[in-house]
Amino acid sequence: MEHGAIWDLPTRLFHWLLVAVGIGAAVTGKIGGNLIEWHGRFGLLILGLIVFRVVWGFVGSDTARFARFVRGPRAVAAYLRGEWQGVGHNPLGALAVLALLALIAAQAASGLFANDDIAFQGPLADLVGKEASDRARAWHSLVFDGLIALAVLHVGAIVFYLRVKGRNLIRPMIDGGEARATGAAPRPHHARSIAAFLIAALVASGAVYAAAGGLLPADAPPAQCAPAAW
Amino acid sequence: MKFRNMLLLAAGVAAASGTFAQQAQPKPETLIKWRQSAYQVLAWNGARIKANVEGQYNKDEVVRAANSTAAIANSGLGALFAPGTEQGKGWHDTTVKPELFKDPKKVGELAGNFVREANELAKVAATGDQAAVKAQFGNLGKTCKACHDEFKNKD
Ligand code: HEC
Ligand code: HEM
Ligand code: HEM
Repeated sequence: MEHGAIWDLPTRLFHWLLVAVGIGAAVTGKIGGNLIEWHGRFGLLILGLIVFRVVWGFVGSDTARFARFVRGPRAVAAYLRGEWQGVGHNPLGALAVLALLALIAAQAASGLFANDDIAFQGPLADLVGKEASDRARAWHSLVFDGLIALAVLHVGAIVFYLRVKGRNLIRPMIDGGEARATGAAPRPHHARSIAAFLIAALVASGAVYAAAGGLLPADAPPAQCAPAAW
Repeated sequence: MKFRNMLLLAAGVAAASGTFAQQAQPKPETLIKWRQSAYQVLAWNGARIKANVEGQYNKDEVVRAANSTAAIANSGLGALFAPGTEQGKGWHDTTVKPELFKDPKKVGELAGNFVREANELAKVAATGDQAAVKAQFGNLGKTCKACHDEFKNKD
């Protein structure tokens, strides 16, 4: 992977896939009808992306690692005083990143157990029963409102940087950017091993498989009852 | 004495008929049970149509489910949302939103869309193929969702 870039390729792919599939999930969820089937598929894909990103936060490049960019309140205060120097997410932005990841995970997780009282339910809804599934639906709807608010804040912050502070953060999220080494912040170290990527992809695939009901007992009743004689 | 007995009898009949008159107006709990049950039958019909359009297609089964859906749609479900049923328990606590009782124009519009698509589904089931039924089933589902989004609580 390219040396000196701020964001490695997997992080960038994660981001823009998340944006694209997230829009797809939101739109199909709102439209309903037969598109609700696609909604479920998009949602599972998003779940996979989030799991990938979380694992990548431990085995990925420096700027993607939680241990590196998630900082305490002192660092946030220093950042607000304009004293932060570094590459990657700033200490305040890091909190937004964590909140975004957590809310998206909650959105997808609640969807797995939800039902629409029409003709669709999440692949794990039968595990918890109808009442809990209805509660999951309520959460799914509530969390979505929060997610929209946070996404607006997120994009608003990016636009604020662009227009008011004159810094284009979007470009690096597309082409990786170029990290300048300063005394305080060395150039980020990049995960070079394809193994790290494979591990993250493998864990994500396993999570999607389980979330899609792949681990449920196979002796579930058939979806289609035989037509009755009367 | 005789006259008093007759008076008592008359009073008894009057009281009893009063009771009957009240029973002709079902209790709110009954109305809520009925509407929840009617919607559950819609869900049953939807589940078997879905199973058929996604798997092995059995036309007779789809026709039965579609006709049942259309029949329920045309049954005058609005009567089950009588005043006094804004809150309460049927098979379980009602999930209707109070707005349904305050905006008859909007409910009428959404219910009308639902009836139209249900009738269309019955027609398509009788004449169309699997793909046509699947598409129309999706159109019907959107009208269920439109009303639920507007007038049914999420839990
Ligand atoms: C005109 C509005 C309207 C339309 C159209 C509509 N519903 Fe509903 N539905 C409701 C309301 C209101 C409730 C809540 C009833 C209650 O709990 O008292 C409900 C409840 C339900 C329930 C839950 C019943 C229960 O046990 O609580 C199911 C299932 C359901 N609807 C399925 C459907 C399906 C399937 C369709 C379309 C084929 C549909 N509905 C169309 C308004 C509507
Ligand atoms: C088109 C609109 C969007 C633009 C331009 C955009 C841009 C960006 C940029 C520039 C960053 C890096 C921030 C930094 O420099 O610290 C970022 C990070 C992030 N964005 Fe967006 N974003 C958009 C939409 C979204 C949406 C809709 C979501 C999800 C709801 C989202 C979720 C995230 C997440 C989770 C990160 C952290 C990335 C990571 O470290 O893996 N973004 N975004
Ligand atoms: C992070 C990804 C997801 C997003 C952004 C999302 C978004 C939405 C939205 C906007 C709705 C419409 C709710 C409303 O109008 O109030 C919805 C409904 C629904 N979603 Fe998701 N969803 C996601 C993941 C999932 C997953 C993974 C599943 C299950 C496989 C799922 C299952 C459902 C169900 C069953 C409904 C219908 C609930 C209802 O009738 O209110 N969702 N979703």
